Amino acid sequence: MAMPGQLMFARRLGPTARLLIWLLVGVSCVVADVRYHALDGLRSGFSLLLQPVREAMRAPTDIAAELGGFFIRHRLLQKERDALLIERAQLLTGVNAAQELARENTELRTLLQLQSRPGQQLVHAALLYQGHDWFAQRITLDQGGSAGLRSGLPVVDASGLVGQVSRVYPGSSEVTLVSSPKQLTPVMVERTGQRGLAAGSGQGRMELRYMPAQTDIRAGDRLLTSGIDRVYPAGIPVARVSRVSRSQSSPYLRVESLPLAGLERSRAVLVLVAEPQATAP
Amino acid sequence: MNVATETGSWRRILGTLILAVLLEQLPWSGWALALRPDFVLVGVLFWTLHQPARISFGAAFVLGLLTDFQDGAVFGQHAIAYVVGVYLVLFFRMRLLQFDPFRQAAQLFPVFLAVQLAVLLIGWLAVNPPAGLAMLVPVLSSTVLWYLIALFVRLWHGKGMQDRA
Repeated sequence: MAMPGQLMFARRLGPTARLLIWLLVGVSCVVADVRYHALDGLRSGFSLLLQPVREAMRAPTDIAAELGGFFIRHRLLQKERDALLIERAQLLTGVNAAQELARENTELRTLLQLQSRPGQQLVHAALLYQGHDWFAQRITLDQGGSAGLRSGLPVVDASGLVGQVSRVYPGSSEVTLVSSPKQLTPVMVERTGQRGLAAGSGQGRMELRYMPAQTDIRAGDRLLTSGIDRVYPAGIPVARVSRVSRSQSSPYLRVESLPLAGLERSRAVLVLVAEPQATAP
Repeated sequence: MNVATETGSWRRILGTLILAVLLEQLPWSGWALALRPDFVLVGVLFWTLHQPARISFGAAFVLGLLTDFQDGAVFGQHAIAYVVGVYLVLFFRMRLLQFDPFRQAAQLFPVFLAVQLAVLLIGWLAVNPPAGLAMLVPVLSSTVLWYLIALFVRLWHGKGMQDRA
C-alpha cells in the first residue's frame, strides 16, 4: 500500500498540533467578536436555531407551575383577591391624582412651550432564558426585532428598571441587567435630587459612583433614573441604597445599593419603545 | 478496554449530545442555575474518552460556540476551553479508562477545573473581571454528573465491565 518515501502511520495530525490549530481558531474568534463585532451573523444564526427549542423547553416548567398552582388552597386565593381589591382602590385614587397632574403638566408645558415627551409604546415580553452570570448578567426575552425592539431600549418590570436591550435577533433579544458589571445608569437620589451614576457590580448589586464625601445620602434612599441621558425616561425606580461608607483612601463615598426590580425573579417585563427623540432646535 | 466500542453508534452519540444541549436550554434560574453542571462539556468529554475517532476537537469547538451563544458570552470563550478539555482527556485517555467510576470522576475533576479556569481566563482578558468565584461550582457538579454517568454505563453493560475496570 505505502509508496516508498511515504509515511506509513501518520494518518492525521497529533493531538498537540490539532489543539494548537483549534486554539488559533478560537483566539481569532474571540478577537473577531470583541474587537470587530464580526460574528453577529453567527449569533443570529444560533438564535434562529435555538429559539424554537427554548420555546419548547419552557413547557416542562410551565406544566410544573400549573400543577403547583392547582394545589393552592382556595382560602389563599380569597385572601389574595381581597388584598388585590384594596390595592386596586388605592391605585385608582392614585390614577385620579396622576390624571390631574398630567393635565396640569401639559398646561404648564404649553405655557412654557416645552417639547412634550415623545409618545411611548410598551412591548410585553417574557423571560425566555437566563445564562450564567459570570462576566456580564444577561437575560434573553421572547420578543425581538419583529416586535420593534432596538438595541439600547430600556426594560422595566412592575417594580423598577431591569436593564437595557443589548442585542436584538429576529425573534428574541438579549437584555443586559442593571446589575451587570460595566453597565452604567444615570440616576438621581429621590430625596435630594442629587444626580449620579450607578454602576452594576455583579451578583445582583449596584454601586453609586463618584459621590463626594459630603453628599447627603443615607441607607434607604431610592434612586430613580434622571433622564439626562436620553436613553431612560426620567423617574423609573432603579435601586435602594443599602449601605453608605466612607473610605480613607478615596475622596468619594462608597454607596452600595440593591436593584428594586426583581432581576432574578421577574418572568414578565415591559420594553419601553420610544420614538427616537427629535433634537431640540 | 473501551466501554462503548460496539455500542457507540452515531445515533447514540448524537442523541446524548442533543439531550445535553436540550437540558441546557431549560429555563434554569437561581440556585439551580448556579449548580447546573455543564451537560454539554460532560457529553463531549465522555465521547472523547470512549470514541475519540468520532468526537474530538471539531465537535467540542462547535458545541463550545453554542454554549457561548447561550451565555451571551464572547464567541470562542467556551470553545477554547472545551478544546483544552478534549486535549487533556486525550492525553490521559489510556490512564482514565483503567479506573472505576469513582476514581475516574476524581481524575476528571482537574480536567473540569482546567476547562473552567480557561473560561475564566478568557473572559477576564476579553470582557470583565469575573464576579466572584461562583463559576467554579459547576466543576463540582460536573464531576458528580460524570460519576453518575460512569456508574450508569457500567451497570448498563453488566458484570463483564466490572471485571475489567
